[in-house]
Amino acid sequence: MQLSGRLQRARALGLAGAALLGLAAGSARAQVVEVDARGTVFVEPSKTSKLTVVTPAATVAAQPAEWLDVHVAYEADIVSGATEAIKAGPIADVVTGATKFSDVRNEFRGGAQITRRDTHLAVDYSYGTESDYHSQGLAVTAGTDFLQKNTQLEIQYARGFDQVCTTNFAPSTAPSGRTRLDSSKGCFTKDPLRASRAVDLDTFQVGWSQAWTPVFATQIVLTGGLQHGFLGNPYRGVVIAPTGEDALENHPENRARGALSLRGKYFIKPISAAATASFRVYRDTWDIVGETYELEFEKYVTQAIRLLVHARYYHQNGALFWSDDYTGGEPSHGPRGQYWTGDRELSPLSSYLLGFRLLAGMQGTPDHRIFSALLRFQGSVAFDALKTNLRDFTWSGKTPDDTLAGMLTLGVRGEF
Amino acid sequence: MTKTLSLSVLLLLALAAGACATVWPEQRAVLADPTMRFEGEPGENAAEEHVLENREASFGGGSVRGGGCGCN
Repeated sequence: MQLSGRLQRARALGLAGAALLGLAAGSARAQVVEVDARGTVFVEPSKTSKLTVVTPAATVAAQPAEWLDVHVAYEADIVSGATEAIKAGPIADVVTGATKFSDVRNEFRGGAQITRRDTHLAVDYSYGTESDYHSQGLAVTAGTDFLQKNTQLEIQYARGFDQVCTTNFAPSTAPSGRTRLDSSKGCFTKDPLRASRAVDLDTFQVGWSQAWTPVFATQIVLTGGLQHGFLGNPYRGVVIAPTGEDALENHPENRARGALSLRGKYFIKPISAAATASFRVYRDTWDIVGETYELEFEKYVTQAIRLLVHARYYHQNGALFWSDDYTGGEPSHGPRGQYWTGDRELSPLSSYLLGFRLLAGMQGTPDHRIFSALLRFQGSVAFDALKTNLRDFTWSGKTPDDTLAGMLTLGVRGEF
Repeated sequence: MTKTLSLSVLLLLALAAGACATVWPEQRAVLADPTMRFEGEPGENAAEEHVLENREASFGGGSVRGGGCGCN
């Protein structure tokens, strides 16, 4: 019944998208229609908990009128692997094993942008579904250019209306008595053993881009976010007693988050290359502070081929209630008896990312189209390697071995 | 705290005043180059951000449109 409802919604969205594009293509035969298709493979090797995510994605965009841009997009995450369902620390004598899992997330997006002179207004909608999580998002963006287009301001508000499946524990059940999900079977149905819980997401963002000289520009972006609802992992249990008893991960129900980014771009004319330096600082009400440093260098190898290399370093401290082991008695400070987590992303960590992207483009004309159809064609290949150093996190005292990941992306884009 | 805030406001005002130094439309060829766009390749950036947001506690501060407008 639920599946049928979801299929109907997906079909309705597909039909709406097709109608929108039909309208766009029909009234815009002389205008540009852009098709972007890409596939990403993410692999995190491990002896026990390997993770593979394959992500095909496609976007079709059109400009039915000079002042109007519309787009529809589809993306899937095909996830397979294994993960430890119960987090234990080094003190409790508990050995946990990895459990295999697989899931598919489908996401549909659509949006439109109106541009009038120096101002634009955009609205985007997204709908995502997987066996244990539903999401809907609405974003409104407004921006303007002024001072001879050297200054650009953009402001955005996004609202997420998500639903996560959990076991059907009553709100009055003590957190230590709540159980984790063992599978997504029965989720979003009338199964009395399952419940759907809301996750509300509000995100505000404002950006200021400034061109200072003909070869130098900067950008400042300020982001604020509010999360409310069930913010844990419904599958994850955490050992909270020395005798090995576990309970569903218990996170606070509210989280306010803020980030400030500074970027600078400089074009080095003698070598036809752009260099970018970025810095971001992040803080939230779970007392996590994170800093990100990034360098990027993109150079024209030939007139049609660009090579980008980038390096990124990130580090954060752990959440206020983070502990690798919740069975070792009362902590000297912090609310670690009230909340518990098995989420390694809330532990102190640092990470290094190194990657490259090779992009080749061909430019045609209305009289001389590429492959007899395209005004412009672009192909790209990108690879990123990510190494994470977990400073505290262990599985029953053992350091995880799934800390090196690789991501390969292939993309093509054509303009008709 | 108040001193830091005042210094930050002064710095922002100084930067904003500097913004009045105009780059004329005929000088914007380089700024319009794809390598000078802050948003880069949005599809690839979104895939990378998706991975990182699932492996770190931080979020936000992503690139917004800007920097590479050669329109005049």
